[in-house]
Amino acid sequence: MLITRRSALLSAAATSTFAIVSGRARAADTMKIGVVSPLTGPVAEPGRIQLNSVRLAAEKINAAGGVLGQQVELIVEDDQSTNPGAVLAFSRLAERKEIVGFVGSIRSTQMNAMAPDMLKVGKPVMFGGTDPTLTKLGNPWLFRCRPNDSYSGRVIVSFITDSLKLKKVALVHSTDAFGTGGKNAILANLEKKGMQPVLVQGYTNNQPDFSPVVLAVKSSGADVIVSYFTNEPDCAVFARQLRQLGVRTPWVGSPSIQSPVTRGLAKNALYGTYAVADFVEDSNPTAKAFADTYRAKHKESPDSGWTYDALTILAKGINDAKSTEPEKIRAAILAIKKFAGTEGEYNFDQFGDGLHGYNVVINNNDKIDYKEHIEFTD
Amino acid sequence: MSDFLQLVFQGLGIGAVYALVSLGFVLLIRAASVVNFGQGEFSMLGAYLLVVFFNILGINYYVSIVLSVVIMAGFGLIFAYTTYWPLRFRGGLPVIISTIGASIFLQNMVLWIYGPSSVQIDGLFDSDGIQVGEVFLASQYLAIIVLAALLVLMQYLIFEKTLLGKKLQATSQDKEMASLLGIPVVTMIMITFAYSSALGGFAGILVAPILFVSVNMAGIITLKAFAANIIGGYGSIPGAILGGLALGVAETLGAAYISVPYKDAFAFLMLLAFLMVRPQGLFGEKISEKA
Repeated sequence: MLITRRSALLSAAATSTFAIVSGRARAADTMKIGVVSPLTGPVAEPGRIQLNSVRLAAEKINAAGGVLGQQVELIVEDDQSTNPGAVLAFSRLAERKEIVGFVGSIRSTQMNAMAPDMLKVGKPVMFGGTDPTLTKLGNPWLFRCRPNDSYSGRVIVSFITDSLKLKKVALVHSTDAFGTGGKNAILANLEKKGMQPVLVQGYTNNQPDFSPVVLAVKSSGADVIVSYFTNEPDCAVFARQLRQLGVRTPWVGSPSIQSPVTRGLAKNALYGTYAVADFVEDSNPTAKAFADTYRAKHKESPDSGWTYDALTILAKGINDAKSTEPEKIRAAILAIKKFAGTEGEYNFDQFGDGLHGYNVVINNNDKIDYKEHIEFTD
Repeated sequence: MSDFLQLVFQGLGIGAVYALVSLGFVLLIRAASVVNFGQGEFSMLGAYLLVVFFNILGINYYVSIVLSVVIMAGFGLIFAYTTYWPLRFRGGLPVIISTIGASIFLQNMVLWIYGPSSVQIDGLFDSDGIQVGEVFLASQYLAIIVLAALLVLMQYLIFEKTLLGKKLQATSQDKEMASLLGIPVVTMIMITFAYSSALGGFAGILVAPILFVSVNMAGIITLKAFAANIIGGYGSIPGAILGGLALGVAETLGAAYISVPYKDAFAFLMLLAFLMVRPQGLFGEKISEKA
């Protein structure tokens, strides 16, 4: 683990320096795209996969002739996994006038922190943060390449009622912003179907013991558990205690319950559980092809494809606009419909949200199998 | 009723964890008059050593535990020489701040080496636990309760019944006087640091299968252990144990019957109540005895 982490950092640092140096050497020849990415700090590990993916997209675009006849060149800045780091990284990129567009962050809080500067700069930013309000800020330059959180709640409720045909919901959620947002989405969507949950149970993050929650679920008479866990260890502790105390109720969770880390911690306690997921290799041919290329190059499976989609869509936008003028690129991106990406079919709406549905997956003995895709058109 | 018994068992289990970590605090308070805020990091390091020996190097589980605990004892000496020794004549506060600094350093060092993801590690037993009627007794919690009881007994015997324990206590109460009486004060303090670090590491190893191994694994537990130490009586060994168990049971029952999101609040409300009504805690010494 030591070697991977260090070498990943070194190679990331080395390549970004290289990009900057070579960028100055041949400034006029390339189409420059700024990328804000966590090269250091706690989320550097998933950040590495996102950076590899965006590079893969650049290689593919360049092999196909580039953008407006120019080769794409990525200028990467480290956000240090923090909000101030992200603001600093973006301001460094913003100073370079030759950059035509950006790939932003997967963290909603970082996007919120950078959004005012992005509005000032006035160039398209493709991003992955899933806070629904981000595209409703009145900032016309934000384009989202992952389904926002309002869809995860809708998809979970629709899957429970239409596919599993279950009615008595026990809702377990973290009391932080993510968990509370998820809870509200579930409650709103249940209400639309005229349903009331039999239990709504919040918990604070980093709990060593979940037995009070498990016993509450057990005595609620629920026939399905819905969960929004923020931290992976919390989810794993809950899963194990749930099984130990004999609860075998079907369980549909937010994306974290199918993450490799959670599965590694909880092992068989999570077998048979369902989760919503934005990137699933087997959900569509584009995702499959991307995952195969990624594996051939990096000897591991990608757990996300949004940065690949982000750059592909940005490049398509510039090509469609036949111009690097921000307003024209924006119009071209908003006009993108029925575009097959790794995360699903992109149909940009007026707010800049590209995706409107989620995949549902099931954990079959630690193998994540694609179950179905639920898409909304309204 | 079965739910109630289940909750009491869980409360005792998690309370025993608090008690174990609290014991490490008590030791250093008693023998060296040091409040060590790096105590939680001792637990975290012990658990990571087990990961290295067992998960990575594939050494036998029990041998790995022994190796980890021995290394932690050695680490306690290094900790003492770097964190406590240079500041030993400066009074309590600089040492406390120094231990906070050391704890931040250790967390970041481990974060740098292992990354932020939690690691799963096996428990002492293959079986998850046993079903007694309606109540499920998780094996790791059972082990923690039994081992905590044994360690407490051992620590009590060392402090109260052996010459070494008496020397340690004398060192804690008055270093100059102890030194005049021919007690090797420096050795006593070093022994305490080594033992406290080994004990902290062992506590970390015991809770690792329940909480998983991560940089922050000891955070909230250390805070609660410190609260348990105050509730039980600052620097009291039986107090640390009873305080820990009481805290564990109270917060688990409070969570189940009053409110889950306020679970952590119950622990600290209890602390506040004790500070106001009985500041010396359950087994606290009266100040006049020491004067």
